[in-house]
Amino acid sequence: MIPVSAYLAVSALLFSIGMYGVLARRNAVLILMSIELMLNAVNINLVAFSRYLAPGEFTGLVFAVFVITVAAAEVGLALAIIIRLYRNRATVNVDEIDLLKW
Amino acid sequence: MVDYKLLVPQFLLAGLAFGLLALDLVLPPARRRYIAYLGALGLVGIVLSTISLRGQEAALYGGLFLIDNYALFFQGLFLVMGAVILLAAEDHVRKFLGHAGEYYGLVVVAVLAMTVMTSAGELLTAYIALELLSFTFYVLSAYATRDLRSNEAGVKYILLGAFSSALLLYGISLIYGATGTTYFRGIAGAVGGTLSPGLLLGLVLLIAGFAFKAAAVPFHMWAPDVYEGAPLPTTAYLSVAAKAAVFGLLLRLFSQGLLPAIEVWRWVIVALAAASITVGNLVAIPQTNIKRLLAYSSIGQAGYLLVGLAALSPQAVSGVLVHLAGYAATNLLAFTAVIAYYNETGHEQIEDFAGAAERAPYLALLLTIAMFSLAGLPFFAGFTTKFYLFTAAAQEGLLWLVGLAAAMSVVSLYYYLMVIKQMYIHPSRHSPRLRPGFVLTGVLGVLAFAVVAIGVYPGPLVRFIETASKGLFS
Repeated sequence: MIPVSAYLAVSALLFSIGMYGVLARRNAVLILMSIELMLNAVNINLVAFSRYLAPGEFTGLVFAVFVITVAAAEVGLALAIIIRLYRNRATVNVDEIDLLKW
Repeated sequence: MVDYKLLVPQFLLAGLAFGLLALDLVLPPARRRYIAYLGALGLVGIVLSTISLRGQEAALYGGLFLIDNYALFFQGLFLVMGAVILLAAEDHVRKFLGHAGEYYGLVVVAVLAMTVMTSAGELLTAYIALELLSFTFYVLSAYATRDLRSNEAGVKYILLGAFSSALLLYGISLIYGATGTTYFRGIAGAVGGTLSPGLLLGLVLLIAGFAFKAAAVPFHMWAPDVYEGAPLPTTAYLSVAAKAAVFGLLLRLFSQGLLPAIEVWRWVIVALAAASITVGNLVAIPQTNIKRLLAYSSIGQAGYLLVGLAALSPQAVSGVLVHLAGYAATNLLAFTAVIAYYNETGHEQIEDFAGAAERAPYLALLLTIAMFSLAGLPFFAGFTTKFYLFTAAAQEGLLWLVGLAAAMSVVSLYYYLMVIKQMYIHPSRHSPRLRPGFVLTGVLGVLAFAVVAIGVYPGPLVRFIETASKGLFS
């Protein structure tokens, strides 16, 4: 049987890749995709813990289902806002979105 | 069997939100202002049903949703805040934004999300409510669809907000893995004086995620940009309501779930508090835009609230709640005055407030009261509530942090006085007098009364809050 640590390693790797993408990418849509990777890392964690810690309970599985649902809504909302910006500015590069000083 | 009587406020809020959305379709544009008035009336009506529940103690859905005086205090606070925002926003939405009914509907959805957040007894419920709140604020921030700054605020907010949610969730998943439960009380049973590495990492990520949402330094980068770019009523709502909801959730989570490990996480919160107080107040000094100034001021205020979270005694929790109530009244007063000024002039730079004392003496006076209260001068809410909060923190031995907070309060007086100086000393470049509408004038009057009342006679409020925070620790 595969040990739980293997799942955690994959999840940690996926989370790190996602975090790197958020910090390194300059395209708003790619940043959004990187955030999705991070959320999927969370799902792997939740499902693995649920399977190995408490096989009879569904807390982790239910949590993962909700994370998937919320993530889908989040993507819809974020793309709507990014499209609105694109129509007005014709760019989705976060370096060029600098009317408000950091 | 769930006792649905205890959930009446939530059902009414959901009904009201959708009702307002539907009214937007039915009413002709000229009558849409009544949607805001109706919404405010509805929220005040729901306050009555919240009051009728006081003293109730119940755990619904197997402990997912808790009703106690603590939750009901916040419920009342959020409902009143929502009503104030609806009334303060009406003029602004009509002049500068479209789709009035949707705006008001979303404000009510945010109230619903916040009431669930402070009632949550479990991490999944808390997360869903937090996301519902964040989603409404993403939309409200990007609401001025043709305004480039509002677009930019929306994009920055949703990208950083989603990123912080991912951090928070990864932390939650590790905490679930280490303790095997997501209930606050269950977590308290599983953590001890020392934590396993996984639990420690989970806790750090959880705190980082919440620090993003509460705009605490060093996770505050989004706040000034979003506050500046978002429409003014959204900024007002974001600065008081979102902050209060996050702290309402944090206090319950930390006191019911993580209190046994206080020695482990206290220094993290202390560091966040010290950084927020220092950076927020110092960076506010060179600001030229009133929204950005108030954004940095609210980062400093988040620091003061974190001092109370670091102390985490029943007294300190009362301190945070009292300060939140006083801060809500004060900041809403400041923002409503700015909204009234902006509606008439279209300007939001601090230098544009020159001569405001002549053009709009009433607005200038009330903005001055708000600034004095934010700085913490006696007779206003800011002084009384800060005094109460800092005393409670000092009793827990956080003396140097309280000293820093008090010193930075003095620093903050400088930049608040700069605004007052513009209004009273500099001559006006435009002459016509400003006449804000009578609804805005009335809201301003009520808020100013609340600020002075909490400052001079906080007794009844403090007594109720003390019963609320005692229940949290029992």
